[in-house]
Amino acid sequence: MTGGAWLCLLAPLGGTIAILLGGNRLPRVAAGWIATSSVFVAFAGAVWAFIGVRGPQPTCGALGGCFYPPPGELTTAWTWLASGHFSVGLQLLVDPLSTVMMLIVSGVGGLIVLYSIGYMHGDPEERRYFAYIAFFVFSMLLLVEGGNLLMLLVGWGLVGLSSYLLIGFWHERPSAVQAAKKAFVMNAFGDATMALAFFILIAHTGSLSFESAFNVHLSSTTQSLVALGLLGGAAAKSAQIPLQTWLPDAMEGPTPVSALIHAATMVTAGVYLIARTHPIFEQARTVELIAAGIGALTLLVAGLIALVQTDIKRVIAYSTMSQIGYMFLGVGVGAYSSGMFHLMTHAFFKALLFMTAGLAIHALSGEQDIRKMRGLGKLMPFTKWCFLAGALALVGIPPFSGFFSKDSIIASAAALGTWYGWIFWLCGVAGALLTGLYTFRLWFLVFPGEPSAFVQEHHHKEGRFGEGHWTMLVPVGVLAVLATVGGWLQWAPLWHPFTNWLAPAASTLAAAAPTNTQEYYTSAATVIAGLVGIAIAWAIYSEERVKIPYAPFAQRVLENKFYFDALYDRLFYRPAAAIATDLRIDFEEPVILQTGPDLGETTLEAGGMVRRLQTGFLRTYVLFLAFGAAAVVLAFLIAK
Amino acid sequence: MLGPDTAWYLVVAAFLFGIGALGVLIRRNPLIVLLSLELMLNGGNLALIAFSRHFHNGAGQIFGLTVMAVAASEVCVGLGLVVAINRKKLPLDVDRLSELRG
Amino acid sequence: MIVASAGNVVVWMVWLVAGFSCLASGVAVISFRNPFFSALALIGNLASLAVMYLLLNAEFVAAAQVLVYAGAVVVMFLFVIAYVGPRREEPWTGGPSWQTLGAVLAAGALLVEIVVAISLDAGHSLGHDGKVGPTFGSPAWIGRLFLVDHLLAFEITSVVLLIAAVGGVILGSHVRRVEPLTSEVAD
Repeated sequence: MTGGAWLCLLAPLGGTIAILLGGNRLPRVAAGWIATSSVFVAFAGAVWAFIGVRGPQPTCGALGGCFYPPPGELTTAWTWLASGHFSVGLQLLVDPLSTVMMLIVSGVGGLIVLYSIGYMHGDPEERRYFAYIAFFVFSMLLLVEGGNLLMLLVGWGLVGLSSYLLIGFWHERPSAVQAAKKAFVMNAFGDATMALAFFILIAHTGSLSFESAFNVHLSSTTQSLVALGLLGGAAAKSAQIPLQTWLPDAMEGPTPVSALIHAATMVTAGVYLIARTHPIFEQARTVELIAAGIGALTLLVAGLIALVQTDIKRVIAYSTMSQIGYMFLGVGVGAYSSGMFHLMTHAFFKALLFMTAGLAIHALSGEQDIRKMRGLGKLMPFTKWCFLAGALALVGIPPFSGFFSKDSIIASAAALGTWYGWIFWLCGVAGALLTGLYTFRLWFLVFPGEPSAFVQEHHHKEGRFGEGHWTMLVPVGVLAVLATVGGWLQWAPLWHPFTNWLAPAASTLAAAAPTNTQEYYTSAATVIAGLVGIAIAWAIYSEERVKIPYAPFAQRVLENKFYFDALYDRLFYRPAAAIATDLRIDFEEPVILQTGPDLGETTLEAGGMVRRLQTGFLRTYVLFLAFGAAAVVLAFLIAK
Repeated sequence: MLGPDTAWYLVVAAFLFGIGALGVLIRRNPLIVLLSLELMLNGGNLALIAFSRHFHNGAGQIFGLTVMAVAASEVCVGLGLVVAINRKKLPLDVDRLSELRG
Repeated sequence: MIVASAGNVVVWMVWLVAGFSCLASGVAVISFRNPFFSALALIGNLASLAVMYLLLNAEFVAAAQVLVYAGAVVVMFLFVIAYVGPRREEPWTGGPSWQTLGAVLAAGALLVEIVVAISLDAGHSLGHDGKVGPTFGSPAWIGRLFLVDHLLAFEITSVVLLIAAVGGVILGSHVRRVEPLTSEVAD
């Protein structure tokens, strides 16, 4: 089983290296297939590891599915860092949590890389793209398989790097470069807080292994600081308030990148982090609840902003933020398996939504404005139905997958029973309404009805089936099926193999385990809220029976994304820029820039003086030699 | 032993070396510079041989013979240079051979 | 220093004559304007040094001194001086005026320092030395030392000599296609 983990980790790295070494000698098509096959090999490794973890003796309950006692296994390649008593090995951890993440990352990742072959076809820098994306998969697998906190941080940094490279893939676009930088800086903030948390842990335990970090008993302040540091990293990576502004801009990258990194895998790493380090958070329960609060706030704010966006990818991006808000809410209240389960179904349906959006964008030659897309469904029926499956899963309409995963998160909030638990619950239900509204606004604007003039003019058929190359359609179809049936794996009131599976690694807190009654009424409430949202969208955008309520202030606030960017601009950018300008005028130009020429001139002058000693007269040199010898003898004499 | 102490021989050697050094430093004719170099080498040789007897050690004499061989080599090359300079009709003056002036 | 026996007096006398002629011919070497006379003065210098070597029980070195220096090196010098012809020292063309003063200072400083170093030790370690064996400095003894103990130095010296000979031939040979050297007259 550890062999599977190593295979899983190293296959994409091998793919990256092969593509990079091949360089221009490699045919463009080959690069795509190398990347795809390396990721599918990784998936095979993940399955191997998964089967290994399953353990030999199943103990089956009555209706609760079989409960396997899966042991986690730590495998160390070599000691990587050793400094005094502190040493960190190159370790992988294979346990239920990491195998689930491995399966998601390599499985969904493989489908998306396959999709990229069609999507990126003809791009002049295809090879670079595939090298990057295989490298991303490697980094993400390193993150989820890392057997100690340092390995996790290494993966964490590398996914940030590959995300930066891929957002800025079309580097001739200034906006893409800007977005890449923004993402990198925001993520670097999170990386820094995480590193600080690790420093505290090293100072107190002298180790970065999960075991010692989880079993250490620190003062509550220290514990909270560590948890806050981890939360900062998680919030930055997962685009949660207040570090959320980079994610919408990250849509500048190619659409498969948005699907893979900014929907299915990397942005959910924060959820994984909290689930992985939950013992730390449980000792600092307040911080954990802050995480839940952040999630609740983000899911509402992002849902509201999504209502006014006009770029198809940005709508889905805000929807991603909102759904990750749900996951944060889940792991924050202590329902780790529900959060992880939503992470999995979300990976299916959100990757599906991005990829269908990519099909639409491709068919319209790069147009992303939904106001121009009306009636696209007539020309692209396959895309239309697949998008509908993803949309229904996102809203959480049974039997689509989102229903099963999202409802248990909201039910766990109810299970807390405290006042904040009920606030979380209300946020969750309100979020479901918003989800229905913005998702079906998108749907009604883009797919049904007669094709608009723009669509008729710009739509062009592609591939044998008219909607895209087969490498694009196959992953979309597979993900459509997964988005539909993926949730059947677990319906909390009746069967919960997923929760049981994760129990050894991250068992749900007793306080956050909902009763069946809570599950039922929560489900009823969210489904009704989702349907109401769909109905409103239908009324406004399809039939146009209801005018959009005229509220210029609210619209302005939403279109400016609650002024987060402006706030950060005022708070951080402008003071920093002002200080930098002052320093340039008062310090850099007079001191630093002037130092160079001054040094040069002084050196030249000194050199000019020394040059006069270089007479070219042999005898002068010998004279100096003689003086030197005299000085040496004198030194010997004095020393004696 | 008979005759003066080793110290006296060394004083003669030091004077010889000093005279040679002075010649190298103030004469401009390369031939005389080479001759002065010979004086310096002979000063060194005298000291070596005096020490050889002082310490009853043959290595000093061996070293002296080696110095002689090296001196002969140096004269060989040096005189070759003088001949070359002469053939180019260049002045026999080390101060005027200042191609490498900085 | 006890000047006791007649033999000792004779040795002292010989040493004084040899030392004086050694230094006098040295001064002559550097002070003649004509290099021909300088080379002749060097012969006197070498001869007096050979006498000193004999006083120091270094018979073989003394013989080599006469053969190698007086016989080969000085002859080579004389040959080259004759080849170059009687060229007077070029008139003063420049060069730093402080050169001569500096030269005297440097040479003087070296001399004074070495003499001081010798005189510091003259009464102690340099003062007494005992008798040496009868074979000390004999050709057989030198030969054994050279070919047994110091064989490597011997061989390396022979290689150096060979290289110097080759270099001398190349420098002096006529067949050269190198651009003529242009002299830059020092200003």
